[in-house]
Amino acid sequence: MIQLGLDRLRKESARAWAIAWKDMRTYYLTPPSLMFGVLFPIALFFTFTVGRNLSSMQSLPILLSQTVFWASSTVGPVVIPLERRTKTFDRYLSAPMSLFSVLLGKTMAGIFFGFFVSIVPLLIGTLLFPVEVMNAAALALGIILSCFAFAAMGIMFASVPTESVGNIMMPLNFVRIPLLFISGVFIPIGELPVIGQVAAYLSPLTHTLILVRGGLGVESFSIPLGASIIALFVTGLLFLYLSLKFHEIIRKRE
Amino acid sequence: MYAIEVNDLTKSFGDLMAVDHICFSVSQGEIFGFLGPNGAGKTTTTRMLTCISTPTEGSAQIMGNDIQKQAFAAKEQMGVVTDISNVYLDLSAQENLIFTGKLYGLSKDRRLQKAKELLELFGLQDVRHEIVRGFSGGMKRRLTIAMALVNDASVLFLDEPTTALDVQSVRVIHELIMKLNSSGTTIFLTTHNMAEASSLCNRVAIISQGRIATVDTPERLKQAMDRVHSVEVVFDSSSSHLVTDLEELQGVRGVQKRGNMLRLLTLHPPEVLTGVFQYSERKDLRLLSINTLGPSLEDVFLEMTGEEIVERTKGSGKSSERRGSVKSRRSSH
Repeated sequence: MIQLGLDRLRKESARAWAIAWKDMRTYYLTPPSLMFGVLFPIALFFTFTVGRNLSSMQSLPILLSQTVFWASSTVGPVVIPLERRTKTFDRYLSAPMSLFSVLLGKTMAGIFFGFFVSIVPLLIGTLLFPVEVMNAAALALGIILSCFAFAAMGIMFASVPTESVGNIMMPLNFVRIPLLFISGVFIPIGELPVIGQVAAYLSPLTHTLILVRGGLGVESFSIPLGASIIALFVTGLLFLYLSLKFHEIIRKRE
Repeated sequence: MYAIEVNDLTKSFGDLMAVDHICFSVSQGEIFGFLGPNGAGKTTTTRMLTCISTPTEGSAQIMGNDIQKQAFAAKEQMGVVTDISNVYLDLSAQENLIFTGKLYGLSKDRRLQKAKELLELFGLQDVRHEIVRGFSGGMKRRLTIAMALVNDASVLFLDEPTTALDVQSVRVIHELIMKLNSSGTTIFLTTHNMAEASSLCNRVAIISQGRIATVDTPERLKQAMDRVHSVEVVFDSSSSHLVTDLEELQGVRGVQKRGNMLRLLTLHPPEVLTGVFQYSERKDLRLLSINTLGPSLEDVFLEMTGEEIVERTKGSGKSSERRGSVKSRRSSH
């Protein structure tokens, strides 16, 4: 029985990885991925940092956090509607694998996209500017868990049964853009009203910023790093669970 | 054990009952045709059987595996060709096949070997490294079918497999279906093409308005088809008396007006043809076109289910719309 379970687990994870690898090769360089995953965070970064005289130690965590945030959450909402349009998403559903494995594969594609894109500002920051990594574990966990949480968030939004990327990006951006303003990215949390501060601690992006700042040795909010690690992990699982439920509902309706 | 066994399978979209408690079974090694007009529920049924969508009610088994409770095992037994060529446009033909092999858990060597075999079989060997986006519709269709054969499925679902293919490719696909079937593969063929169904299928089910109207052999369906024919005529005049005049011709059972074309329903086309020529000479009307037609799929369906054509039928004395009601619901196992 255990052997059967392990065999099934091996098959499911191999197929999830096959989907992730295919998505990486196929969709990473598509215009919507590059626009929403790379150009958008950079444009927003310059919009809100130019003229504020921020040091590289202050601005790098902002760039890094929102790069992870935008890039990871973009892949699912780009890939899934495109695959719905070409009906290739149906292939996964009729293949011997669970819906969870399909979504896990899609989530992995988002995780790796967010990770690769976020490496660029980190390398530039550490190689060209006087930025030092003080807590590598916090930084690595911050980036990886954030990639997971935001990739799962993108997959959850991609459960909207549409064949148009725009129909998913619109509600997703309706959530993503406000998150930037309540998570301490552009406005310090301490300057927010009380309700804003409460919302800030519920936002996964706040915890990304806490861990990235902690990793780079920048003073941050008074939350233990461990709490932010747990928060990001639980948020990722919650988004993945909700994605599964939403996709199951859609499958019943389609 | 049946290859496919369907019990009370139902799918509703809100108030719309797309598939209404259908029951049928397909024996192992059978080629089973699934026919019906557009919107009848063919694709919805196929999507449920291939686990793409979830049934609202009822159950189905593929090689004894329940499509909901044992979906993994059921899906391992099937290959699927959907009505649209759903290939990965940004991968090459070979990569499409290899990726499909990964989804079905084939080993690396087996994937490569199978991809090579299928590329040769479907005449795609020379373009195996080319990105599929540049392929013609026919090439994409062939690749779609090839992808369904990667896992040597016991049950093959083919939804309109020959749509958009040239005559040569259609012949290749038909030969392939026969060859696969002779090696024991069960084929579930959804098609609009009666000739295709007639030449390939052991049995055929007709679905309309979400219900199975009949399950029978093509021979019996053809017997029903032979009873209904029509002659379509277009005159250069659109006199209001045309319809009533033509209704009076010998052998005409009814007249349907569609634009400037008149369709004369008959059991004896030659008799009606003679009558139409004589009528046109007598009235000095010029015939723009005249065709004799066998029954359409819709006619067969109407015949099999006992629906009535009341549109300008002789004796009704008034024009009306096509009225249909399924008088009897038959399904056999």
